[in-house]
Amino acid sequence: MLLAVLVLVSVVFSLIAPGFATVGSLDNILVVAVPVALLAMGESLAIYSGGIDLSVGAMLGLGGMSGGAIMSGLYHGQTGTDIGLMLLGLGVALAVGLVGGLFNGFVIGKLKLEPLIVTLGTLGIFGGAADLISGGEPLSSFPPSSFELGNGSLVGFLPILVAIGIVVLFLFLFVERMTTLGRHIFALGANRDALVRAGVTPNGVILWVYALAGVAAAFAGFLKASQFQTATPIAGQNTLLLGVAAVVIGGAPLTGGEGTVLGAGLGAILISVLENGFVELGLQSYWQVVAVGALVIVAVYVSQVQQRRKTFGYRHRVRAGTVPAGLMLDEGGSEEHAT
Amino acid sequence: MSQATQAVGSTVTGTGLTKYYGAVAALDNVNFEFGPGLNAIVGDNGAGKSTLLKILSGVVRPDSGSIAVNGKEVDLKTARDARAVGIESLYQDLALAPTMSICDNIFLGRELTKSYFGVKILDRRAMMAVARNALAEIRIKMPDPATAVRTLSGGQRQAVAVARALHFGARILLLDEPTAALGPRETAAFFDTLRSAVRQDGTVVMVGHNLPQVLQMANRIIVMRAGHVVAKFLPEETSVEKLTGFMVGSAS
Ligand SMILES: Nc1ncnc2c1ncn2[C@@H]1O[C@H](COP(=O)(O)OP(=O)(O)OP(=O)(O)O)[C@@H](O)[C@H]1O
Ligand SMILES: [Mg+2]
Repeated sequence: MLLAVLVLVSVVFSLIAPGFATVGSLDNILVVAVPVALLAMGESLAIYSGGIDLSVGAMLGLGGMSGGAIMSGLYHGQTGTDIGLMLLGLGVALAVGLVGGLFNGFVIGKLKLEPLIVTLGTLGIFGGAADLISGGEPLSSFPPSSFELGNGSLVGFLPILVAIGIVVLFLFLFVERMTTLGRHIFALGANRDALVRAGVTPNGVILWVYALAGVAAAFAGFLKASQFQTATPIAGQNTLLLGVAAVVIGGAPLTGGEGTVLGAGLGAILISVLENGFVELGLQSYWQVVAVGALVIVAVYVSQVQQRRKTFGYRHRVRAGTVPAGLMLDEGGSEEHAT
Repeated sequence: MSQATQAVGSTVTGTGLTKYYGAVAALDNVNFEFGPGLNAIVGDNGAGKSTLLKILSGVVRPDSGSIAVNGKEVDLKTARDARAVGIESLYQDLALAPTMSICDNIFLGRELTKSYFGVKILDRRAMMAVARNALAEIRIKMPDPATAVRTLSGGQRQAVAVARALHFGARILLLDEPTAALGPRETAAFFDTLRSAVRQDGTVVMVGHNLPQVLQMANRIIVMRAGHVVAKFLPEETSVEKLTGFMVGSAS
């Protein structure tokens, strides 16, 4: 379904905007999609678990700034050791993402606070910390290997960023489908009691979820800084919207308990297609944000309709009394939907 | 792993169990002994029946008192502890994850895994095979175990929960109003399942509201009122009228 929308939008753009359907354009679409996709995959886990992480955009900025600060602080034009320096910057960025994410997870799990409020708070904390690193100024003069990371290609045509995106996608898919952690994340979102009564402590699961979300966001920030050879505290502006949008467009309901990171990845690509298409049409790029916002609302509506259909009782409202009340997702739906 | 061990004749005894919620005594110095067969708990709303089952299943800690299984004192801090001594429960609200599959629900918290180079990966094929068997054992018509639980009817959901409990070798099965959400046909099928569990020397502790049904099936009945056990009966010694009298407090 999402794939069909993606193809349709792409076909429309290539018909009306001649520059859209070129190989260069395709590469560009995927490269632009990667940071959003990383953010969205981390966000996916939070949403599957019945929570949400509003701090991922701010963490993207902080990840870029902390890795960038290390690189620009230690790089003075030397050539020999610069891969090590790039990896050091990357390591610091990921560590910052891990610490920030663990903090979110600890507060949410241990202190039993709403993820929405906790991560709204850390949105401010991470955003402020990113500003503090340089007094709000952008950082640059990174080692050449970081330029290579952000702009180079493997075997001539596959951008390194896209390769990284694919690897991370598989890692997240692995967690989602092949591990007990994945099962427990979905169960936490579907019915926390079911998980507790099955003898699993939710706090461990929550720590994992927000830690992975933090690391993925910081990684996205480091990649963006490498790509543009500049780290700025505001790099995460709008990316929270784009990340959550990708997850929702990818079909995961905010009520938790289901979804797939494949959907989030496709959602990120669709968002990137829109941006590219609008640029090729000569529209101002602000239109992309408007379009994505509208798309989120459409996606939430579609996902709600699907929820109703998937639940027992949709076609059997007459016998709805046989379904425990708490398990009916849509009490207000009207009779004429039934077939 | 405690795979389908059908031990014979388990007993569970509670001594002086007390549990307060604020000033409310949900249980006040409750004593009981449940043995093989069907042990029924009846009582008015708020009598403390669910609280008693929650204590036995390890999700609620009593303020004081002790529990013994087959004469050995046990300390049930979590649902896992209870399972380790063979106590499985079916909750009033079933505790299923509706968006997940039947198979995922059956194995939640004890997923089967295979290890590759030290990395544990879900063994889906094994879990599906076991789930199919577990569902076949209880003889209720069910779709494939890969189906999401939310697409199931109330009776089928019940069956998933029962299959989960029985398959994992429940020696003592706790049921809190298991037929509350079921239609008449599903209720009948459920009691069939229950009878076969009891016949295999299982110990079942059931909270029930349907007194004629309880009288017909139970081997032992205790009546609770306002946090106390007010009477204990064998089914042949009592009647619906007598039970009702104790439940509402007009008899003593
Ligand atoms: N988590 C809780 N917090 C506060 N009070 C509680 C809690 N659980 C139970 N109670 C109180 O303890 C008492 C016993 O409740 P319990 O649920 O054990 O009754 P019950 O016999 O199962 O009733 P019902 O037939 O309605 O299911 C009630 O007064 C109830 O309000
Ligand atoms: Mg109750």
